[in-house]
Amino acid sequence: MLRATRATVILFLILMVPALAPAQEEIVCISCHGTLPGKLGEPVKLWKGSIHAENGIACPSCHGGDPRDMANAMKPERGFLGAPKETDIPAFCGRCHIGVEKDYLQSAHGKALGMGGPTCVTCHGNHLVVRASLDIINEKTCSQCHGFERARIIREAMAQTESHIVAIDAGINRYKGMGIDTEKLEKGLFAVRNRFHTLFHNVNVEMVKNEAVGINADLGKLDSTLAKIAEDLDRRKIIGAGAVGLALLAALILYLLKRSYDREE
Amino acid sequence: MVLFKKIADWLEVRLGLRDLVDRELTGYLLPRNINAWYSLGSILLFIFALQVVTGILLLIYYVPDADRAFRSVTTIMNEVPFGWLIRMCHAVGSNMMVLILLFHMLSVLFMGSYKSPREMNWLSGFILLNLVMAVSLTGYLLPWSQLSFWATTVATNSVGTIPVVGGRLVEFLRGGTLVGPATLGRFFALHVAVIPLTIAALVGLHLFLLERIGVSTPPFGMDDTRNAWRGERFEYEGHPGGIPFFPNYLLQDLTSIAIYLAFFFLVVFFDPYLFFPKDAFLPANPFQTPAHIKPEWYFLANYQTLKIFPSEFVGLAVQGMAMTFLALLPFVDRGKEKHPLKRPLFLACSVGGILLWLGLTIWGHYS
Amino acid sequence: MEQVGRRKFLMTSLGGVLAVAAGAVLYPLYRYLAPRRNIDSLGKVSFPETEVPAGGAKFFDIGGATGVVVRKANGDLVALSAVCTHLGCIVQWQKERQDFLCPCHAGRYTADGAVVSGPPPKPLGKLPFSVANGTITVG
Repeated sequence: MLRATRATVILFLILMVPALAPAQEEIVCISCHGTLPGKLGEPVKLWKGSIHAENGIACPSCHGGDPRDMANAMKPERGFLGAPKETDIPAFCGRCHIGVEKDYLQSAHGKALGMGGPTCVTCHGNHLVVRASLDIINEKTCSQCHGFERARIIREAMAQTESHIVAIDAGINRYKGMGIDTEKLEKGLFAVRNRFHTLFHNVNVEMVKNEAVGINADLGKLDSTLAKIAEDLDRRKIIGAGAVGLALLAALILYLLKRSYDREE
Repeated sequence: MVLFKKIADWLEVRLGLRDLVDRELTGYLLPRNINAWYSLGSILLFIFALQVVTGILLLIYYVPDADRAFRSVTTIMNEVPFGWLIRMCHAVGSNMMVLILLFHMLSVLFMGSYKSPREMNWLSGFILLNLVMAVSLTGYLLPWSQLSFWATTVATNSVGTIPVVGGRLVEFLRGGTLVGPATLGRFFALHVAVIPLTIAALVGLHLFLLERIGVSTPPFGMDDTRNAWRGERFEYEGHPGGIPFFPNYLLQDLTSIAIYLAFFFLVVFFDPYLFFPKDAFLPANPFQTPAHIKPEWYFLANYQTLKIFPSEFVGLAVQGMAMTFLALLPFVDRGKEKHPLKRPLFLACSVGGILLWLGLTIWGHYS
Repeated sequence: MEQVGRRKFLMTSLGGVLAVAAGAVLYPLYRYLAPRRNIDSLGKVSFPETEVPAGGAKFFDIGGATGVVVRKANGDLVALSAVCTHLGCIVQWQKERQDFLCPCHAGRYTADGAVVSGPPPKPLGKLPFSVANGTITVG
């Protein structure tokens, strides 16, 4: 009876988890805009699927304002910045993404800011910002202003390194799911990935190709760490096979011994 | 060996060793038709011992503090030589204990060994089942991962549905309103000391009852498979002309343990992560509930049952009744017949029940 | 008596198996319990003091990651891990402000590695170092 009661109650509540999760109170931005229709409510929906939301970056992190005071949430005195004008977008995002802003401003894209050139939002979106990948460099996005040809060249120059990064990422995740301490590997990969992706913002193929050498060397170091882990894991499997074999052998001997005694009875 | 004989003689005059050996080992006779299922109990004892040993080893490096627990487990898995092995043996072992326990229970059910005069054996076994569930639940929290934290939140919340005292009870279990460092402290004490000692005590009782009443006779290979107990007075069930425990059945026990070990090592070395979703390797974050928390496999049937019934109370009550029935089975089933094929009602109910449990478990896994 | 001979053989083999099993258990047990030497696995890196000017910083590879030595305005030396505690990017030394800035998400640290602003959850890790005969040795 104890088992049923306890176990079933336990499990029943798993169903109630969303309601029971003792998360922080919802900020006022979401509780209001989350219920508004049309354009006013859309950012919330989009943001929820973003990498910012995944990492706890919410409205005030970019737009300022007071997340706890509904009446004064959008007052400039509380630091509210509103939505940036087109030419202010790079500085807006660049408050956190400083490395990228610097590269962008030096590039042909940055120099065309305010004159028909792209801003961060053009390629990354504003609320549904997702983890950067090569897919952002695509025909639809890039040919809004010019032919896709030049974008394709850069994309191809980056493709091999990118798939190397993706492969290492998959490898790290697999090992993480086995309890291997991947913190250093994850950090190392993040640093390299960031250095690599930031490169694109210069939109300079030669620069990408030159930097790729150093980047690939760093990826190689990550590879060898992963290879060593693979080696260790293989060794464990061999020990395992031995252990299983020994146990089976013991079982066989014991069984035969038992039979030899049973014969007597 | 001369030395052996000298030691044996020395002990004989002080302890009456020969008589002891004769009574408990070579002269302890078991039914001739005894089968391998009777060795599941020894496998469980072995598993328990292994859990205690690996648990103590883990105690050396584990830190029961909310800020350091997760890191200490990561250290055991990555930096302590063979730490991964000890940890995985302990984690896989706990699942194995439940699995073998279920088989042990099933074999007792099918051979009718729970029937009079062995009601207390069944009851103590039932309590042991609960205790094993409890020790698994409390152990789950200790690594302080996302899985640990949220599974415990849900599990302790459940107690809150009990009317009147529910809320207070939840706080008592948690050592506070929410799962936190206080919870870790008391769950640690329960997992490491209180429950294992209780299990040991109950196992002692369980074995004492077995020894005192005598091993039951399996209902196979005989014409008359009815329970012979008359119940007028205490009568030890001996088996004259039976098989000696030592060395014959001891060898069966050891063979079964060896086969179990082969299976155990197969899982530990080749796929221990069967029981580890990825949330098990993320440090606990009280502000972020993971998307899909599912209970361990042995609770999936209960999980699914609750999902079926629109009212939680009904879902709970249904399971409560089922388990109560199981606990009181020796008092409900007073039939003398022990052979499963000669007990059609019992067979229908038990096979039906097993299929239902399996079905719910599989459904719970995919839902 | 073929039974006896067979039994003896089986017992001997069992003895052998148990001996191997005992070794297979005792060896990992010993390694698990044996005191570990404190992880010196960072390796050491040395360079002349003159490579770190006043108000300047020197970055170098150590233990598979990046480290940095800073000479603060008052002449004190600090050796830190240059791996940002947020997500792992390498922090940059800002000479004008005498602090560290992470280019990835603008995490800012003092010259001693304490977090000033931004997402980093912990300060920069300190590295052990010593100075002798005009040479700095880190690790």
